[in-house]
Amino acid sequence: MRTSSHPPYLDVLLTFARNNLVREMTFRMNFIAHGVAVTFWMGLQLFFYNLIYQHRDEIGPGSGWTRERYFVFLATVMMVNSLMQTFFVPNMKLFSELIRKGNLDFALLKPIDTQFLITFARMDWSALGNFFFGIGVLIYALIKMDYVPSVLQCVLYAIYILLGVAIFYSVVLAMATSSIWMGRNQSLDQFWFYITTFARYPLEIYTGSLGTPIRYVFTFIIPVLVVVNVPARIMAMGLREDHWPLACYTVCISLISLFLSRKLFNFALRQYRSASS
Amino acid sequence: MSAWLSMWWMIFRVSLSEKLVYRVDFMLGTLMRFLPIITHILLWTAVLAAGDGEPIGGYDRNHFVAYYLLVTISRAFSSMPGLAAGITEEIRDGAIKKYLIQPVDLIGYLLLKRIAHKLVYYLMAFLPFALIFFLGHEYFDGWPEPSILCAYGVSLLFAFCIGFFMEATLGLIGFWWLEVSSLLFIYMLITFFFSGHMFPLEILPAWLRPVFDYLPFQYLAYFPAALFLEKMDPAQMTWGLWVGGFWSVFFFLTSRIAFTLGVRRYSGFGG
Amino acid sequence: MTLTIDVQNLTKTYRVHQKKEGLKAALIGLGKRTYHEVPAVQGIDLQVHQGEFVAFLGPNGAGKTTTLKLLSGVINPTAGHATVLGHIPWKRENAYRRRFALVMGQKNQLWWDLPAQESFRLHQKIYRIETEQFDRSLNELIDVLDVSKLLKQPVRELSLGERMKMELIAALLHSPDILFLDEPTIGLDVVAQHNIQQFLRHYQQTRKITVLLTSHYMKDITALCKRVVIIAKGRIHYDGSLKGITDQFGGYKILTVQFADDIESPPDLSKYGTVQSIQPPQVTIQVPRAEVASVLSHVLNQHDIADVSVEDPPLENMIAEVFSLAAEEENAS
Repeated sequence: MRTSSHPPYLDVLLTFARNNLVREMTFRMNFIAHGVAVTFWMGLQLFFYNLIYQHRDEIGPGSGWTRERYFVFLATVMMVNSLMQTFFVPNMKLFSELIRKGNLDFALLKPIDTQFLITFARMDWSALGNFFFGIGVLIYALIKMDYVPSVLQCVLYAIYILLGVAIFYSVVLAMATSSIWMGRNQSLDQFWFYITTFARYPLEIYTGSLGTPIRYVFTFIIPVLVVVNVPARIMAMGLREDHWPLACYTVCISLISLFLSRKLFNFALRQYRSASS
Repeated sequence: MSAWLSMWWMIFRVSLSEKLVYRVDFMLGTLMRFLPIITHILLWTAVLAAGDGEPIGGYDRNHFVAYYLLVTISRAFSSMPGLAAGITEEIRDGAIKKYLIQPVDLIGYLLLKRIAHKLVYYLMAFLPFALIFFLGHEYFDGWPEPSILCAYGVSLLFAFCIGFFMEATLGLIGFWWLEVSSLLFIYMLITFFFSGHMFPLEILPAWLRPVFDYLPFQYLAYFPAALFLEKMDPAQMTWGLWVGGFWSVFFFLTSRIAFTLGVRRYSGFGG
Repeated sequence: MTLTIDVQNLTKTYRVHQKKEGLKAALIGLGKRTYHEVPAVQGIDLQVHQGEFVAFLGPNGAGKTTTLKLLSGVINPTAGHATVLGHIPWKRENAYRRRFALVMGQKNQLWWDLPAQESFRLHQKIYRIETEQFDRSLNELIDVLDVSKLLKQPVRELSLGERMKMELIAALLHSPDILFLDEPTIGLDVVAQHNIQQFLRHYQQTRKITVLLTSHYMKDITALCKRVVIIAKGRIHYDGSLKGITDQFGGYKILTVQFADDIESPPDLSKYGTVQSIQPPQVTIQVPRAEVASVLSHVLNQHDIADVSVEDPPLENMIAEVFSLAAEEENAS
């Protein structure tokens, strides 16, 4: 009687979504204020880059990142960040807190995949506003460029945003999981901010003796550089042949990241189960 | 006097061992602090390169690098992680009562604790900072003359005072408004932008500069850095220091007033 | 009767990081960390049949909670075997996880900011409970625990006792066959404690489920459990009926004698046993069980007695004695 055959994951996910919305609605003022604050921040970012483009026509000589194209890039940053802040960052904060306070036990005894449970329990819907702000910026930039992307471009753009989110998720999961060994990871938020800093700039700025090593490290070891760059290029510069290798690499590395972060997660749980009382 | 000193020493020691307990966190945190500078430097390098290295707002590449490095020093004095949030939390869960009962002054106590934390931080972060500045010494034109160094020291003191008392005032708003986390978030963003943390204020259009000049935020990052780099003439420097002094006193007073009124309100409600 | 829980030689040792006090130690600690091994559970054997209500008694850190965590599969043992309902707990099969529930008095699993019913609905999805069955169980539990008015209130606004009732509902929604209760009445006032006890007794008796309970309150245990397991330092020191504790460890009785004369200093009775208190005209002595009859006749013969009573020592005292015996054994070995 208790074992209907279909997996409960979708049901559970929808219940999480609903519960979180109910929760946020009880703090309506905070919900609105937070949305306003984040939008304000994005406005400041746009202002800043606008300022740069008053002094120059391009960032990086010959890079192709003109003002409008760069706004496409920024729109992509906003969308990816917003998805992360809505779905995954709050969960990872909660997870590292559960570890710290030794409250992981309840999650461990539920008849459902533990990673699923700690990945989706929290959703911060107020952060999703930024996603739509990003879409607005994207549309503005495309209109200014007088450029209509093809259907294929749009589909690839969406897919690569999701792949990028998968990479970010893997990184933040690995970071949160490491709380099991580090004891405290109070600055998870900060770490997350700093690590993703690199992803917020176009690849072309990573040149010279300082930039080149960074480009390699954050493409191949912690692959956050491809997260925004690959979809943003697809949308802003079209499907250029010389961009294909990186695009293919992104598909592989996102799957590898998901796989490895899950391995790490399970390994950490085994440690937790063996080490704690 | 000796009682006061021993309390001081106690707070200092507790702060130090607190920091040391979470040393992995601390070390990583200090190193990570320099990461955004790297991207800023790379960004400006790319921007400047697109115009054949022509300076923007009087900053060439060396100046940009030096500027961002100096901003980390300003921020080491002016940033107050957890100060306002800590105060509002104590108000919300009622722990604030202990300052009303015990012979301890809240702002005085927090100030001491913060100074201790800062000292510990400088002690532990000295090596990484020294290393970074040694590696980056070629971006500087050399040491400024002693009078400017003195002014620089004063400006850092103002950075600390304004940072501390402004954020303390903000935290004390918690007496009236229980949920201030969004307010603090906006404060953080405004600080980041208006303080010059993100970019040197010289690149702003001329009509916007006065706004930034008269706001207190530039003292948290831009002012000490620009002063060190001799980006202003003596008259501007003196004027800037006066305004900085004004803001320090101003926020000292607002924090005291907010505390007095807040306590009156709190005890009026019967806690 | 079917064997529900079968535990053999279960052992759990964990490592703790030794944090030293003070500045100097913290500085030294910069380099390396020192660990030492703490045996939490040392070779426990335990058989529990279906429908039993078993209490775990023991001082803090005795290994009670660790045992419950082992049996619920949250943590892995260092050595030993256990089967619960035919499953090995630490294999963590979903089929097993749907058949038990764990309630911890000091931790909550309900969403803090939401009404409890939202958490219940989440449980329904996670445990795949059919809607019909869910509604039936929920209504029944709400009814018995009398919480229908509280369902729509955010959990953070509930009192501790009300919250515990909600935690119990959440745990019982999927009709578990085994219930692990870790100090379910901790911090509750007397009335709330009594309510929870009543409910647990009623629920266990009607459903015939197996319950393992740890508690510090003797009241919980005397009200609920026929069988008591005393754990100290990770070992079982007693396993049997509540009454059996008296037989095994209560080797003496408390004899209270009230003298007829209203005298300032009653006669010395220390030759009969350990004098516990002298409150003229009343004297209390502790007498070995075997000598009770002879002491009684002596006292009655030689003194002018108004009243006399013979009692078993309080259960708490006996259990405290078991604990200290266990500690002595540990130190001796």
